[in-house]
Amino acid sequence: MTAQRLHPRVRVVWVLRAVLAAAILAAPVAGAHYLGYAPRWAPVVAGAVLLALGVVHALLRYRRWSYEIREDALYLDRGVITQVRTTVPLVRIQHVDSRRGPVERGVGLASCVVYTAGSRGADVRIPGLTPDGASDLREELKRLAIRADGEDAV
Amino acid sequence: MKLAPQSIPYRALQKAAGVAVVLFFVVNDGGWGFPVAAGAGLAALLVAGAYEVAYYRRFEYELTENTLDIRSGVISRREREIPYRRIQNVDVSRSVIQRAIGVAAVDLETAGGSSTEGSIRFVTPAEATRLQREVQRRKSADSAAGGSDASGESTGPVEEDLFAISPRELALVGALSFDGRLIGLLAFAGSGSIPVVSGYLPDVSALALSAVAVAAAGALFLVSWAIGAAVSFSNYYGFRLSRAGDELRYERGLFRRYSGSIPTEKVQTLTVSDNPAKRALGYATLSIETAGYAPGQGGEYGSEAAVPIARVGRVYDLAREVESFGEPSFRRPPRRIRWRYAFRYALLLAVLVGVAFAVDWYLAAGIPWYASAALLLAVPPAAHLKWKHRGYWLGEDHLVTRNGFWSRSVRVVPYYRIQTVIDSRSVFQRRWDVATVVADTAGTSSLTGSDAAAVDFDVEEVEELQSTLGDRLQEALRDRRSGGSFEWLEGGRETGAEGAEDDVEDAGDAAGSLDGDAGREVPDEEAVRPDFSASNRDYSEPAERVDTGEYAVDRFPSDADVANRPDGEEGSTDAVDGGDGHDDADGGDAAKEGDGDPDDSGETGVDDDPAR
Repeated sequence: MTAQRLHPRVRVVWVLRAVLAAAILAAPVAGAHYLGYAPRWAPVVAGAVLLALGVVHALLRYRRWSYEIREDALYLDRGVITQVRTTVPLVRIQHVDSRRGPVERGVGLASCVVYTAGSRGADVRIPGLTPDGASDLREELKRLAIRADGEDAV
Repeated sequence: MKLAPQSIPYRALQKAAGVAVVLFFVVNDGGWGFPVAAGAGLAALLVAGAYEVAYYRRFEYELTENTLDIRSGVISRREREIPYRRIQNVDVSRSVIQRAIGVAAVDLETAGGSSTEGSIRFVTPAEATRLQREVQRRKSADSAAGGSDASGESTGPVEEDLFAISPRELALVGALSFDGRLIGLLAFAGSGSIPVVSGYLPDVSALALSAVAVAAAGALFLVSWAIGAAVSFSNYYGFRLSRAGDELRYERGLFRRYSGSIPTEKVQTLTVSDNPAKRALGYATLSIETAGYAPGQGGEYGSEAAVPIARVGRVYDLAREVESFGEPSFRRPPRRIRWRYAFRYALLLAVLVGVAFAVDWYLAAGIPWYASAALLLAVPPAAHLKWKHRGYWLGEDHLVTRNGFWSRSVRVVPYYRIQTVIDSRSVFQRRWDVATVVADTAGTSSLTGSDAAAVDFDVEEVEELQSTLGDRLQEALRDRRSGGSFEWLEGGRETGAEGAEDDVEDAGDAAGSLDGDAGREVPDEEAVRPDFSASNRDYSEPAERVDTGEYAVDRFPSDADVANRPDGEEGSTDAVDGGDGHDDADGGDAAKEGDGDPDDSGETGVDDDPAR
């Protein structure tokens, strides 16, 4: 299997998240303005800058994200500021979830979460899948994990 | 089996003593008089006692053939079965009071869950020891695939001492266990008394005041040091580590006695740590991690089985007893990376100087703020030392990493224990063209971010390391499978080494030949092998729809009764998904058939089964 990309619509989810984050972070500045500590333009500028950063981050994140199921492991490549490449050997998969958050349901996407017994990469989330794709990926990973047969996973 | 009867009053007192006393004082202060207050306290105790009697009556544990069953619960009842093979550690602890009344607490840890999975409170010490031994015996009997291990019937394997702490080492543990957090705590507690004290000495010179401050700081330091020493002294008093068969046993503690067992096959990581003081004296600390302990459960002493202090050579010998990892020769990061550290420290220093300047400017106090710039001299050596103490080594079966100068830790991770391999590159690392590889295991202390990591190596080297680790893990898994019994076939029948290897290769073959039509055919020599190759499907695209009418159909049922599956159905699924269903189904058969004898497997097929 070649490296897979996420569904383009996942950008919508991430941009919405960036908007929310920008709003939350700009709120204290707005509060400062309300109390008279900051000029009128401060919250607007803060919000705009945060939003721009968030949106750029979301877009770059989409460009960067890819995953791949190879013969014995699941490979993920992601991260904008810190690039992370994770190898999850199929033997180590404990269980697999497919899940859909409210925003994801809104744009008709789903994600798949792979759990291992590890402590740091214990759960790996693959976002931006179609609902069918997510459940198929779950089934596929399940099948592959059963084949890989982690007799003694811990 | 039941708990020890004397655990009833003990548990009741333990739970209700506080409540009873509080109730007593509240009611007494409320003007109700002594008798009512005493009655209230007594009532609380009685309620607790009744509850504990019920608890005692309900609580039952039993060692069955394959599992330890615990039935418990007064209000909500729970039955729990813990397979012996999944038990990671068995710990027994006895506080002073528990020792006096002759009970012990037994904790069984598995890798799952967030708290102790099997907690038996309380049994008699003899019963606790028996449980500990019995679990081990049954576990090893279990993994020996039903082999009747008559030798260890009741006595168990011979215990062989590995390490016993000497008084000198115990003194060193105390002396070297300085806990910085205690200072903060004591300073916080002590700061409350400053206004009180200053009230008594209104007219003293600044000199005297600062002398007092220095003295107080010194005293604080000494007290926290003494407390730290006392705590670790009582913790590690009488520490003893021994080996019994495939299990490590430890014992320690002055007031509260701990003893426990760790199966060596469950060891996830070994960590040898030291600091400059220990290095100078030639000592080090060893800790053994399993996946059993929930985060934070081991307390600040981390995993329970740690050799608190021993000569470096001794520590490595002990570590090799558990995991024979050979003599590591570390590869260091590229030399240029020292510049990165130098820049980092210089930046930090610049910030420090800036802060000092700002304070000086704000207070107009004439502090020599530029003095801290003298630390610049320390930057190059610091950078060098940081670089010097980093490294990794790929042993035959283990990855060994080393990090840190002030508290240096050498981590030994068997390839077999690797869970995920993570390669990360921060913005700053990318500037220097380096990256970090983390080999994550199921240990616990890794939660604090101290995984086995090879930090700041060349990108190419890191990529190679990552794929090497993946390969070695697969190799190790293969070795394990062919070496031991083949246990995913029910009952763990023995397959020869070739059988297991064939299996792996065949899966690969099937993957390779799937593209052509050959994948559809039954291989002539072997039973039909499942097709486990990854499909080329793009999961971000909608799936091809299969019209199943009103019903949701699992196209790859893992538990289907495949032998009775009608041929027609097989054909129809194949048409849709390109053969996955068919081969998967047959794979189920091959496993179910479970012959596993390499000689016979040549002519096996579904139909052969009844003949045997």
